[in-house]
Amino acid sequence: MATSPPASASTVGRSVPRTDGPPKVTGASRYVDDIPAMPGEIFGRTVRSPVPRGILRGVRLDPAFDWSDVTVVLAEDVPVNVVALILDDQPILATGKVNHAYEPIVLLGCADRLKLARAVQAVALDIDPLPPVLDARAALDGGEIIWGADNVIKRYLITHGCADAARERGEASEAAIDAALARCEVVVTGTYASHHQEQLYIEPQGVIAWWDEAGAHATGSIQCPFYVHKAFLKAFGLPPDRIHITQSVTGGGFGGKEEYPSIIALHAALLARKSGRPVRMIYDRTEDIEATTKRHPASCEITSGCDRDGALRALKIRILMDGGAYATLTQVVLSRGALHAAGAYRWDDVWIEAAAVATNTPPNGAFRGFGAPQTIWAIERHLDRVARELGCDPLDLKAKNVLRPGDSTATGQVLRVSVAGEECITRAIAASGYRQKRAAGPVVRGRVARGIGLSVFMHGAGFTGSGERYYKGKVALDLAPGGRLRIRTASTDIGQGTETVFRQIAADAAGLPLDRVEFAVPCTTTVPDSGPTVASRTVMVVGSIVEAAARELASRVRAEQAGQEPGAGEGDGGAAAGPPALSFEEAADRLLAREGQVTSLKQYEPPDYVRWDDEAYKGDAYPCFGWACDVVEVEVDLDTFEVTVVDFWSATDVGKAIHPVMCKGQIEGGSLQAIGWALSEEIVWQGGRIKNPRMTNYIIPTSLDAPPFHVVLVEEPFPFGPGGGAKGIGEMPMDGGAPAVAAAIEHATGIAARALPLTPERLLEAAWSAGRGERL
Amino acid sequence: MSLADLRLFEMRHVAGLGPLCEIMAERAALGAPVTLLAGGTDWVVEQELRPPLEVAAGGPAAPPLVVDVSRLSDLRGISLSGDTLRVGAATTYLEMLRSDAIAARAPLLARMSRDVGAVQIQARGTLGGNLATASPAADGVAALAAYDATVVVQSVRGERRIPMSALQTGYKRTSRAPDEVIVAVEIALPAPGSPWYWRKIGARRAQAISKVALAGVAEVRSGRAARLGLGMASVAPTTALLPSVRALCVSRPLAELTGAEVDAAVAQDISPIDDVRSTRGYREHCARGVVRELLRQLGAQV
Amino acid sequence: MKVSLVVNGSPREVDLPPLSRLLDALRGPLGLTGTKEGCAEGECGACTVLLDGDPVNACLVAIGQCEGRRVTTVEGLACAGHLSPLQRCFVEEGGAQCGICTPGMLLSAEALLARSPDPSELEVREALAGNLCRCTGYQRIVESVRAAAALRRGGGGAAP
Repeated sequence: MATSPPASASTVGRSVPRTDGPPKVTGASRYVDDIPAMPGEIFGRTVRSPVPRGILRGVRLDPAFDWSDVTVVLAEDVPVNVVALILDDQPILATGKVNHAYEPIVLLGCADRLKLARAVQAVALDIDPLPPVLDARAALDGGEIIWGADNVIKRYLITHGCADAARERGEASEAAIDAALARCEVVVTGTYASHHQEQLYIEPQGVIAWWDEAGAHATGSIQCPFYVHKAFLKAFGLPPDRIHITQSVTGGGFGGKEEYPSIIALHAALLARKSGRPVRMIYDRTEDIEATTKRHPASCEITSGCDRDGALRALKIRILMDGGAYATLTQVVLSRGALHAAGAYRWDDVWIEAAAVATNTPPNGAFRGFGAPQTIWAIERHLDRVARELGCDPLDLKAKNVLRPGDSTATGQVLRVSVAGEECITRAIAASGYRQKRAAGPVVRGRVARGIGLSVFMHGAGFTGSGERYYKGKVALDLAPGGRLRIRTASTDIGQGTETVFRQIAADAAGLPLDRVEFAVPCTTTVPDSGPTVASRTVMVVGSIVEAAARELASRVRAEQAGQEPGAGEGDGGAAAGPPALSFEEAADRLLAREGQVTSLKQYEPPDYVRWDDEAYKGDAYPCFGWACDVVEVEVDLDTFEVTVVDFWSATDVGKAIHPVMCKGQIEGGSLQAIGWALSEEIVWQGGRIKNPRMTNYIIPTSLDAPPFHVVLVEEPFPFGPGGGAKGIGEMPMDGGAPAVAAAIEHATGIAARALPLTPERLLEAAWSAGRGERL
Repeated sequence: MSLADLRLFEMRHVAGLGPLCEIMAERAALGAPVTLLAGGTDWVVEQELRPPLEVAAGGPAAPPLVVDVSRLSDLRGISLSGDTLRVGAATTYLEMLRSDAIAARAPLLARMSRDVGAVQIQARGTLGGNLATASPAADGVAALAAYDATVVVQSVRGERRIPMSALQTGYKRTSRAPDEVIVAVEIALPAPGSPWYWRKIGARRAQAISKVALAGVAEVRSGRAARLGLGMASVAPTTALLPSVRALCVSRPLAELTGAEVDAAVAQDISPIDDVRSTRGYREHCARGVVRELLRQLGAQV
Repeated sequence: MKVSLVVNGSPREVDLPPLSRLLDALRGPLGLTGTKEGCAEGECGACTVLLDGDPVNACLVAIGQCEGRRVTTVEGLACAGHLSPLQRCFVEEGGAQCGICTPGMLLSAEALLARSPDPSELEVREALAGNLCRCTGYQRIVESVRAAAALRRGGGGAAP
């Protein structure tokens, strides 16, 4: 059980009670919809396209309806009609054409919710439907052009070994990889598909926006306040200091509140601007599921070659991702997907071609794992097939080829530090009894078959390539009265524990007790841009800036102490040896009185060795990787193909667990999202519209569906990580669950699924097509 | 959607079944239906999914009158007299789960109740509400069908007793007249210790709507089914009573049944569809599977 | 319609249209925003409160049905500023992450512990099955509830 540490003890590595725990368990925390109504506040609603593609001829307001107290915002009311993100291809309100169902066209505001609901009904949209492109393959074929010149949002090519050499000689790299494959003893080909996933944070999207003499304000359920800030800059043409974006307590994000909140915040701010009143916009669940981003569906065609003894040699992959109607963060998702597509393994020769296309479906965007779960699903399933081809257990194939220190990745990154794939495998296998269970299985009792499977994976921690150099994330630490520190950062706590962990890091770095460190509410007006709360970078990257700033501040105070009392002991926050020494608090207050403000503003410096070539897509894709091995035991009902995950083991390398309970919480929660994605979560489409935009029919696991999780924390420190080597952990748990579940199902039933989700209906079909269906 | 409309509804409380029947008669004569609200686990959700109430020229159309029956004592209570179990229509699933009489004599009802939603729904949802809504996916209705229960309805015209086989007339439609109130269900219980069967196949282990659910109640004497009641959810527009399966299974010693004829009887009795929750093929497969499993438990070799 | 009810032990009165949801009565006129709305259809459990001691979804209960009834919300769990054993264990064992499901989760757990002082893991999971959580994977929540049960059995504080 976690306990409060004594006041001066180091807390890194200890599971202290989380800072935001008490307000969350008493109901005192204010999420956006808990914020009391502001004077004159009205509610906002969005009128959306019913069709996936069409020419927008006009908008008609029913003349019989009383519009006198309803604010109506149309595209023409938008100063600059662009959602600023990467490519600026998405309008804030559709104009001229509609590119996906649920695309926003009109905004309505009214103080009366009932009247507002009726006003939505009183808007008629005049749209001439066009044939929609609803499938990535069709988009790639380019029969109908709906985006850019060829529907392709982004392409990447990653080459290694002979394919790379050919590329450098200006020859066809594909021919080179094909030749390398042809030389291999065992060649296996397969295609692996994965589907949309809804983040399904339990708190829907919501923002309150208003304007006053200071400019535009928005507060809401937001992962990345500076994304919203950037979007306001573009849309309203305001100077940066006239935009104030504040995060309210956020009820989960998982990527879904990374870039999407810009849109709802822009909408609320447009209504506020036109009505002159504060506007509260809270999506109901259906609207949230229909309108917001999802995980990108992906299909990966893999051909691999290896030796008879299982040494992996050549790998060729074609990735196709469905970006939806607009680019959002698709190119970055595709990049991370491609960079993880070779898995956690050594290959001599690699050729990975990745493309993302636009379709007339709601735009896809950030979701925990960010492309990696889709490609890791593919490579893990593929290697399970290779193992079957070789007649060995997947464990042996994976353990033989897992990357070790000194090995190179597909981008030619030589792994120097913090490599723990082997260790994770060893620990997970030991904890789960995988070998014995695998050998004994599948155990069939009555109508239930039990099987066990595993996945091995790594996840790049922090931004890809030059991301951190480009972003220059910053953190400010202020000295506050009484020798206290206040952290000012744009990194948000959306449940993962940023606030607590940053306080632990700062307190330890400054040699202060935890309760001396505060965490300021992230508001773009008062905190520096630390970069977004994404990419498993918060603790590893931003936490290391916090650490450096805390060290600097503490040393300034201690210099002040020392200046008073030459030779006074260092690093003692309380009573220094020998009176009448100045205490840390006294020294801090004196410093503060003299200087008015004492702040350490630090900027992230990536480790020197990180070299990345964005043109060739080569080099150090990430400063380091997290590593993990998941082992899953399932029971499959051979009559109904219902799957129960009975136990889940994960050995996960986090570098250094600053707060072990939170680390485990991340791993368990992410793993369950992966299990849900694998087994039950599914967006059901019909003509570009979602048939199940409700919690009743979008099925996430309940407590009865969740297995007991047995998490082994592996700590292979990253020398540049804070608190003694912490790495990213947020996304990695999303990567391994699905392939491990599929491997366990295969062990239990012999059904080798290649496409997600593994619903009972699909498993039954697979069994039928394998001629094993009517086992009654 | 239109939850905002809820504030337009009028709600009345009544002191007993008599006054309630009078209101029902009065409103039925006007052609203005009454909504009887108990747990609200279906009705409130339906309001959200409806488009906003039509706005007539002179203002909003009058919404139906809602009468709260959630705590009407005439509709409550679980009582056992001899081999007859009577459950008030406003009895919640949680009350059934906590009832000693049900645990002892109608364990199928208790077991089924555990699979309804989760505790929050069990605490509000009622047997009568389930019968009135008449969703073919209703677990409670499938269980009552297996018991061949009798639904007791009351109006100013008197009491009427509707067998389960005559209650549902179509998808979410019943033979209850607009002035009738569902008061209770009565179950002629099988002998104590008789075999029963419950299996719910849903997308998850709680908070799930059945893809297929089967309830069964049987009495077996010397290898023959002397009584066999069945109710299956989510395989037809109404709760499926599986008459062909019942007839087949009481026609001969259970050990003589073949899988093929059981499957054929099942196929005759169900007409499942593809929908957002499952597929026709999966439902057909599961329906065959659960019926066979039930029969195996009774000693059939299928 | 005027409705008198007992909220967290105090008599309160609200005047609202009778079909207003208990959820809106709590979050609006009663000023208790600890009860959350996640789905508005009784699916997620974020609005779970205790009605006469049993967990219900406040989004499915009409205020007109609440005359004279006892309602317990998350704001009623702490006693005189002291966290209840359940709340303490959620803070210490990692039962709350984003916290949006936590109030409902706590009330379902409270109802369980009131009836079952030493629940098995399965009993805990069953009692919480109407409360969806997207953060934790439920493991820490289950552990928090079982730790609280032990704490309560050990006299670590009575239920409010």
